[in-house]
Amino acid sequence: MTRPPSDPSAAAVSGPGGAVSGPDGAVGGLPPAVELRGITKRFPGTLANDAVDLTVRRGEIHALMGENGAGKSTLMSVLYGMERPDAGSIRIDGAEVSFGSPGAAMAAGLGMVHQSFKLFDSLTVAENVVYRAEPRRFGLVDRAAARRRVRELGAEHGLVVDPDARVGDLPVGLRQRVEILKLLHRGARTLILDEPTAVLTPAEADALFAVLRSLTARGRTVILVTHKLREVLEGSDNVTVLRDGRVVARLRTARTSGAGIAAAMTGRAVELDRVHPAGTPGDVVLDVEGLGTAGVHDVRLSVRAGEIVGIAGVAGNGQSELVEALAGLRTVTAGRVALRGEDVTHASAAERRAKGLAYVPEDRHAVGTAPAASVADNLAMGHHRTSLSSRRGLLPPSAVRAHARDLVGRFGVKAATPEVPASALSGGNLQKLLIGRELAHGAPLLLVEQPTRGVDIGAIQAIHDELVAYRDAGHAVLLVSAELSEIRGLADRILVMYEGRVTAAYDRAEADEATLGLAMAGGAGTTTGAPAGAAPDGD
Amino acid sequence: MDLTLDRVKGALRSPVTFSVVAGLVIGALFLVGTGADPFAAYGAVVTGSLGADGIGSTLTTGTSVLGMALALAIPLRAGLINLGGDGQLVLGGIAAAVTGLYSPLPAPLTVVLALLAGVVAGAAYAALAALCENRFGVPLLVSSLLLSYPATSLASYLVRYPLKEPGSSLPQTRRLPEGVALPVFGTSTVTAGLVLIVLAAAAYWFADRRTAVGYEIRMTGLNARFAAYAGVERRRLTLRLMATSGALAGLVGAIGVLSFPYRFLDGSLTAPGYTWTGLTAALLAAAAPLGTVVASFFFAVLQVGGLSMERTTEVPRELTQVLQAIVIVFLAARLRFPRLRRSRGKPQEPAAREPAAQGEPV
Repeated sequence: MTRPPSDPSAAAVSGPGGAVSGPDGAVGGLPPAVELRGITKRFPGTLANDAVDLTVRRGEIHALMGENGAGKSTLMSVLYGMERPDAGSIRIDGAEVSFGSPGAAMAAGLGMVHQSFKLFDSLTVAENVVYRAEPRRFGLVDRAAARRRVRELGAEHGLVVDPDARVGDLPVGLRQRVEILKLLHRGARTLILDEPTAVLTPAEADALFAVLRSLTARGRTVILVTHKLREVLEGSDNVTVLRDGRVVARLRTARTSGAGIAAAMTGRAVELDRVHPAGTPGDVVLDVEGLGTAGVHDVRLSVRAGEIVGIAGVAGNGQSELVEALAGLRTVTAGRVALRGEDVTHASAAERRAKGLAYVPEDRHAVGTAPAASVADNLAMGHHRTSLSSRRGLLPPSAVRAHARDLVGRFGVKAATPEVPASALSGGNLQKLLIGRELAHGAPLLLVEQPTRGVDIGAIQAIHDELVAYRDAGHAVLLVSAELSEIRGLADRILVMYEGRVTAAYDRAEADEATLGLAMAGGAGTTTGAPAGAAPDGD
Repeated sequence: MDLTLDRVKGALRSPVTFSVVAGLVIGALFLVGTGADPFAAYGAVVTGSLGADGIGSTLTTGTSVLGMALALAIPLRAGLINLGGDGQLVLGGIAAAVTGLYSPLPAPLTVVLALLAGVVAGAAYAALAALCENRFGVPLLVSSLLLSYPATSLASYLVRYPLKEPGSSLPQTRRLPEGVALPVFGTSTVTAGLVLIVLAAAAYWFADRRTAVGYEIRMTGLNARFAAYAGVERRRLTLRLMATSGALAGLVGAIGVLSFPYRFLDGSLTAPGYTWTGLTAALLAAAAPLGTVVASFFFAVLQVGGLSMERTTEVPRELTQVLQAIVIVFLAARLRFPRLRRSRGKPQEPAAREPAAQGEPV
């Protein structure tokens, strides 16, 4: 599956101004929708963009790819008027511009959907769409016109949303539509979408691409900032790849492959979607019987030492609640949880950790770390009462630093010093820190949620290898992931959660993508009896 | 060497320095506007508070300000705000006064017992506020503040009726018996209370930097969900921090009663506003131990120097309160900047280019 980076389809460019394949400059006499030339942006200590050229033709879907820290977001901030470039020029539809603010960029026909949506949850869809560009009648907001406008735009582009629904009540996929409608309402001709599918189910992502296609068919232009290979291959026309602030490849999507793009992004050959060898299960470590909590009903599962059990499912089907209940962060209302044979159903988070549980939570910024605290302090958490402190409760700073240096080295966390705040780390490095800290407990049971969300391809491999090594060392791992390829690559057994219940269970051999996809959409009949996920035997 | 230089540079560039300098400059503009000489006025503040005549007074005031600042900084380090300092302070004072007046023990032991009584009274009362949050879900901010009023009123009632000094027109207790007082340094008004408070500050510094519980407190303050996820039990921490906070406030009250005028006089503990000056100092230092000490001393200088400035120049002492307010306004603005910058600058990939200073560079 691996291909060397020199794959001809990757048409690697040695640097800016090098040989460029693919479209460039004006096509059919029309100037490009967006043309960036020699954009350079320096931050203290980093050269975020180094003479970057980017040409986006009118009516195309152009993917801007690169690992975290490659400079994609900085480039888009420059384009959108949020940052001033140190050098370089910007042309929109052939005219040179210089934006002092996002407002100026919007006036020039650009529009951006940020990764975290900027909507008012308590207002309706129509109110959100027309905000700051309200249709007026006698000086008042014309609500009827606003609703009409939402329906018209929706019908035109297949973006159907109820104009009167409260945004806070909508699922994520529909909120994203509201963001797009907002841009269309303001007349954006070029839409920039920052990691748009990070929060979407596979079906929602497909629907999004259908919408984007319909937009480009009507002459609008889309810039897609992402690091997901699959959607780039399926959805884009052209790709520009950044690495370390420079353009390293410009590719025509139809003539390239996932491995080619991945190699350009990372600068080395990458094996995609690897399937790791199966584990050798031992004793039951986690045993859950009829567990119930808010949003979770009657879950029965077990995880044995030396195996990874994967929980697949579309986000929001009770996985987070289940894991929180298992970690002791959510009250259990029914059933029983046993950790290494001991009943911990009502034990506190601290008690469970003492009995042998480690946990990598889904939200690494809000739960898994304190971003303002130093890397060393973040790595000490959980170890500060055990290996790092003396019997009198002293916590010598030297021990904290030594521990940090050890883990930073062992797990390849890139941090200038252990004293820098965790917020200075990239997503992948922060995740390595978090996983390293939890693995270092050597706890018999590891709960892992979305271990590679928002993480670079290179770091994904390292994280997967760590998890498999941890399993092979005889530990039990419960893995929750929205990435099917991740579940299939790592898990020895796979459970599917749908509407708060475990609705299907498969051994790794029988779980192909189609079967799992169907089960995730609620298509699996309620499996009765003892699914493969249930305890092998025992009580 | 380089490192020290960097730290000095960092301190000079820090928003605290900026706020203090900005406060002084704006204060000077006020002075010029009213026709006063800013150099003379500031000079009077400095000589009045740090000169031979003023230093004793500054240290006495500083004892109370630092004590209250520590009391408020300790919970603040975990993100909890104790607004009930006045109540805990007054209960500590009244408990010390009652013990001092009625203890049958010899004087030195009575002093120790009175200090302990103040500590216990303050701790218990602050713990009550914590229980209101833990048990009944009343936000700590509200429970601590509201519990403060009945405490001050109770003390007020006690010194007006049951404990009132017979024959006096003032709402005050009798003077404590001879010898029931904190040792005094020389002829000054500075008591051993200063030593106790400085020891408390040292203990706080040590706990903050070098103990597991101090680590848990800091992490809770930086991200409470993170701490809870790792097993730090918030309710227990809230209770313990509030009890410690109240204990210190009670200690300040007891020290106040066991120093001149050696009695509980209604309003004498709360009128100087130690609670609020202390809260300001704790906020100014972001609850970091050494910073809290420095800020408390700064405010004690302003408070004492302001009085002297009023005496020697025509400038009213309220100017020092204006200075205090300006410093806080600038600091509050600092608290906002990073958040604004982060939300706007979010898409930048070299995240957090300038690491936010956390605590002090010790």
